[in-house]
Amino acid sequence: MKTHGNRAGRQHLRIGMTAVAALLALAAAGCASSHKAAGSSGAAQASTVTIDLTPQGCTPRPARIASGQVTFNVTNKNAGAVSEAELRTSDLQHILGEQENLTPGLSGGFTLNVQPGRYTINCPGASQPHWTLTVAGKATGPSWQSNAQLSAAVSGYSRYVDQNAAALVTRTQAFCQAIGQGNMTQAKLLYPQARVYYERIEPVAEIWGSLDTQIDGRWENPVTVASQFTGFHKLEQLMWENNTLAGAPQLCAGLVTHEQQLLKLVRTAQYNPLEMASGATDLINEAATSKISGEEERYSNTDLPVFQANVQGAMEVVSLLQPYLKQKDPSLVPLIDRRNSSVTRALAGYRAAPGYDGTGFVEYSTVLDSQRQQLAAQVNALAEAMSRISAQVSS
Amino acid sequence: MTAAQAGRSAPSRRQLLAGAGAVGAGAAAGGLAGYFSGVTADASGGGDPGAQTVPFYGAHQAGIATPAQDRLAFGALNVLPGASRADLRDLLREWTSAAARMTAGGLVGEVSAPYAPPADTGEAVGSPVSRLTITLGYGPSLFDGRFGLAGRKPAALAPLPPLPNENLDPDFTGGDLCLQACSDNPLVAFHAVRNLARLGMGVVEHHWMELGFGRTSTTTTAQATPRNLLGFKDGTRNIRAEQTALMNDYVWAGRESDQPWLRGGSFLVARKIRIFVENWDRDYLQDQQHVIGRAKVSGAPLSGGTEFTTPDFTARAADGQTAIPADAHIRLASHEHNGGTRILRRGYSFTDGIDPQAGTLLGGLFFIAFMKNPAQFIRLQQALAGDALNEYIHHTGSAVFACPPGVRPGRHWGDGLFS
Repeated sequence: MKTHGNRAGRQHLRIGMTAVAALLALAAAGCASSHKAAGSSGAAQASTVTIDLTPQGCTPRPARIASGQVTFNVTNKNAGAVSEAELRTSDLQHILGEQENLTPGLSGGFTLNVQPGRYTINCPGASQPHWTLTVAGKATGPSWQSNAQLSAAVSGYSRYVDQNAAALVTRTQAFCQAIGQGNMTQAKLLYPQARVYYERIEPVAEIWGSLDTQIDGRWENPVTVASQFTGFHKLEQLMWENNTLAGAPQLCAGLVTHEQQLLKLVRTAQYNPLEMASGATDLINEAATSKISGEEERYSNTDLPVFQANVQGAMEVVSLLQPYLKQKDPSLVPLIDRRNSSVTRALAGYRAAPGYDGTGFVEYSTVLDSQRQQLAAQVNALAEAMSRISAQVSS
Repeated sequence: MTAAQAGRSAPSRRQLLAGAGAVGAGAAAGGLAGYFSGVTADASGGGDPGAQTVPFYGAHQAGIATPAQDRLAFGALNVLPGASRADLRDLLREWTSAAARMTAGGLVGEVSAPYAPPADTGEAVGSPVSRLTITLGYGPSLFDGRFGLAGRKPAALAPLPPLPNENLDPDFTGGDLCLQACSDNPLVAFHAVRNLARLGMGVVEHHWMELGFGRTSTTTTAQATPRNLLGFKDGTRNIRAEQTALMNDYVWAGRESDQPWLRGGSFLVARKIRIFVENWDRDYLQDQQHVIGRAKVSGAPLSGGTEFTTPDFTARAADGQTAIPADAHIRLASHEHNGGTRILRRGYSFTDGIDPQAGTLLGGLFFIAFMKNPAQFIRLQQALAGDALNEYIHHTGSAVFACPPGVRPGRHWGDGLFS
């Protein structure tokens, strides 16, 4: 789980045709509404599209707008069978933004930077689910699509996310199977193995804020309601702290359901280089905060493998962007590589075979404060270098 | 090229402010520039005392003889494992450039590129520079051989020996490097240390940091004597910058130094001194005055006169005892009782909040002093073994640093040490 601040920060940077967080996620992140527009694109024109969900459909008003920052306000007036509106590419292949879970009487929305073109507003369940939105004007974001290296990096990242999301589901199913068999020892071995796949792609999962909470929510961040503490960390608490599997099979089934929803969403989501870059920095920031402190895996002490997974996910982005970055800023990739090597060396001191709960690492509670400080210094240095990528892929 | 080296193109705090002045609340879509549009402070002209700057370049580093500013941010940093001699030298070059910019009222670098993290962290935008100085020091551990500097270590630079009334917390003791930032504006001082530490990521990390919220020393004749958390005037008999003979005899390292690179520099001794203020506040006035050796309100020595009257350590009170008690702080700390030994004090009051167990204040005096040789401080502190004040204070942190001399334009902080 990321901190609220980090998530709000990422909102600032999201641009272009991209999967976006629903307004509900923004509210959960404690992000002031005024933040949402600031700094997101530099586009001068901000406009609003109103979408009312009715049994008949979801006509956008107006149906033609200027490109740039657009806020979509979605309200369910009286549509019992319709509960969401999506902004999709006209071929319906990619979801660019959405507002889900609107029962009659509720409203919400999302904001994003829209490039010129034709789009479809999709509201499944309505008698006419597809409505056209036309965006006129000039392209406002950086045209990374015309750059072969950046396009290849984005495609590569899509594949990486899809693969990790798929493995997340499979590994979690194996974990749940052990739970179903009442095999606590085996379940404890499989828990960190499944989590690695989530921790590599977490910034993407955070796009759909409620799913991130359902899968990876910690007690205090942002759950604090017992009935909503349902994901990995609730199972972790049951096994390591309460030493029981009572209620675990049902929780695990729910976890898999949410992961399958995530898998479905990432397969249609489209990313951009800036999002990749800021996500990579977020991953390293996360390793430097919630992993170093031990708060993320507080019951199981399996922080080291997920720490490594955060770094792996970030370095995958670097690897994909490397051909482009090497031309854009020849000093940056070597700097990141050097600092990544320092992190790897620091982490190597805690490897063990088979390690604590089979993780390949020692139990994190045995890592002393002074050692954690050393690890943190190296990973912060990596994050600082990582944060320089975003400007390079945006100009 | 780093932002700091990009130097000239970076906007000053004032320029940025002026540029943003016409931008209204609707600037949000303009990215980070919008963030600064809300800043309207410091709109006044050049007569503003907050606009005063202290020259960064000179024979000595600023922040030593400089009239003590009101606020302090002090960082002790360690060089990370794996960082090389070249990394360290490059960092000192980058720090010099950034410090020169900041002390002149500028930002570390650009804040307007929409898709780059701002080169400057931004919190000081709109704040007047308020006589910011940034002073660098090298700790004994920097010369341990990691960077090929063992041969450059001044003989006098060593961790302080065990001293009376101390129980040192390793989390507030020592450090490879120190950065002392002083300004009359707290945000400006903090901003300086934060940004230099940020530039140092991958090479150095903070070992500890302290903020001082009120000066406790006077370093020029023009300044009034401030008070420390004991409620007493502090620094009445401090060396003054105008006393150039005393400065040369006791503060600036000179020809006596075994390391030529240090000449014109000085040693900085930092001591984190917790004051048990609750206990002190319960002591009756006359006893407080006896502990210090001065009158609480006027600051006059108990031997009579006014604040600046030289204490008469032989004067007797009506009861036949010395007017300034034998264990009074000012007696034991005085140069008259220490073979003439003096130091330039430049400390600040600090607080780290409340002791979670005792519910009492974690605060006191962040003592800083500059001297030609740390032996001066050691002698004085040893003399304070019998200090009546020890009942109310405890030294909990300690560090010593060798501060190089001032930087000439075009050179950098590390030139002397690394040449």
